[in-house]
Amino acid sequence: METSGNLIQVKHLKKHYNQGTIHALDDVSVDVNKGDVIAVIGPSGSGKSTLLRSLNLLEKPDEGEIIFHGIDISKKTFINKAGKKEKVNINLHREKMGMVFQHFNLFPHKTILDNMTLAPIQVKHMPKAQAEEKARTLLSRVGLGDRAEAYPIQLSGGQKQRVAIVRALMMEPEVMLFDEPTSALDPEMVGEVLEVMKELAQGGMTMVVVTHEMGFAKEVGSRVLFMADGKLLEQGTPEDIFDHPQNPRLQDFLSKVL
Amino acid sequence: MLSVQGFQKILPYMSLFWQGMLCTLSLSAFTVIFGFILALLLSLMRMSRVKLLKAIATIYVEVIRATPMMVQLFLVYYVVMAPVSLPTWKLFGFIRFERFVPGVVALSLNSGAYLSEIIRSGIQSIDIGQTEAARSLGLTQGQNMRFIILPQAIKNILPAIANEFVTIIKESSICWTVGVQEIMSAVNSVKAATYTIAEALIVASCIYFCLTFPTSKIIQYFERRMRRGDVR
Ligand SMILES: Nc1ncnc2c1ncn2[C@@H]1O[C@H](COP(=O)(O)OP(=O)(O)O)[C@@H](O)[C@H]1O
Ligand SMILES: [Mg+2]
Repeated sequence: METSGNLIQVKHLKKHYNQGTIHALDDVSVDVNKGDVIAVIGPSGSGKSTLLRSLNLLEKPDEGEIIFHGIDISKKTFINKAGKKEKVNINLHREKMGMVFQHFNLFPHKTILDNMTLAPIQVKHMPKAQAEEKARTLLSRVGLGDRAEAYPIQLSGGQKQRVAIVRALMMEPEVMLFDEPTSALDPEMVGEVLEVMKELAQGGMTMVVVTHEMGFAKEVGSRVLFMADGKLLEQGTPEDIFDHPQNPRLQDFLSKVL
Repeated sequence: MLSVQGFQKILPYMSLFWQGMLCTLSLSAFTVIFGFILALLLSLMRMSRVKLLKAIATIYVEVIRATPMMVQLFLVYYVVMAPVSLPTWKLFGFIRFERFVPGVVALSLNSGAYLSEIIRSGIQSIDIGQTEAARSLGLTQGQNMRFIILPQAIKNILPAIANEFVTIIKESSICWTVGVQEIMSAVNSVKAATYTIAEALIVASCIYFCLTFPTSKIIQYFERRMRRGDVR
């Protein structure tokens, strides 16, 4: 198998809840290649969030592998180049994966600027002035250049989510994970967030996006995954999925949402 | 019963009450500081993944909560601290250090347990999304606690901490039983010297009221101001 473009390889991932009665993830395997924009769709409760959150280990899978930079980050240790057993430092890997949540999860006690500079300063030891300059540049790019000193509570939902996106970008991640980034927004604010994500995709960012915005999946996605009952039932290009769906569950799902 | 003569009799001893008040205040202030540090440690231990730490902290808190303050104080004074020979300093020129310290230790050990419950509930009241955002940015669990969770949690639990401070001021009265010269010990001295108890107790009550009532009011004021600060 060609692996040179692989950024993340997910192999036979399983996750159970409630003593194994709920199969949130049931043997899911998927590759994320550099530059991919993967849209994950499916009914609610199908395991989309669990899959996404497993990628940066916010959920710990029960079985399977998540290979990132050649290391199975779902395990406690790995064998390094020198052939020695070494501890997997999950913080190191999380730095390289930005995550955007449905409910923004901005830090309410910190200004927008501090929200953005905290991790670069504390984790990457970036000088404060440099971090602030970078933050202001990113804020202007998403049209929020004048809100640096504001607190999250002063922003609209759409503004908060744009801040959340650039906060993640501050760490210069190799892949961005989005968990229903527009589901908590008022309809009139969905567009401004999708616009930012679209620009990000056009800039070559690798993205995995759990979304109910079929228009976005169709237009921006390079690949679409359809999940149901913890299983990855179908994947393909947007045309494959939306115009020629094979699985009856997918056909049924699309008939309801389109 | 109460009489003007009674108050006149204890008038010459007002400086004792003044000293008692200073002592009660110092006792409470030190207790809040050390109790808070202990509480922070205990609450982090209770949320730790290390089972042993968790067990130790849980047992400690439960034992403290299930035993009388008086027993804890006597244990500290007569058993734990007995072999320790403390210097015979005098704080403010009158508070006997070797009595004061066991008092602070016992009160801190006690309020640390109660405060840790408060802190733990404060930490758990913070949305899990905060931790997830922090961790997804690469912050360690320790950095998450320090920069994200504790600043928000402490703001939320300030009223409960203030309440505990008021409780400590009142509970510290028990320390007169091991010879700490706080307010109740002043009452006792006045009683011995003048055979007046009712009036001495009235004075003591007034002092306690003057300490605790404004404390709760001041804290309520700051609480309101911080709430307002939230909606900047
Ligand atoms: N912490 C949890 N405890 C128990 N069950 C959970 C937990 N998280 C998710 N689940 C269950 O796992 C399944 C998949 O959830 P999720 O990944 O959130 O689905 P989706 O994001 O597609 O809506 C659901 O049945 C959900 O109820
Ligand atoms: Mg979900």
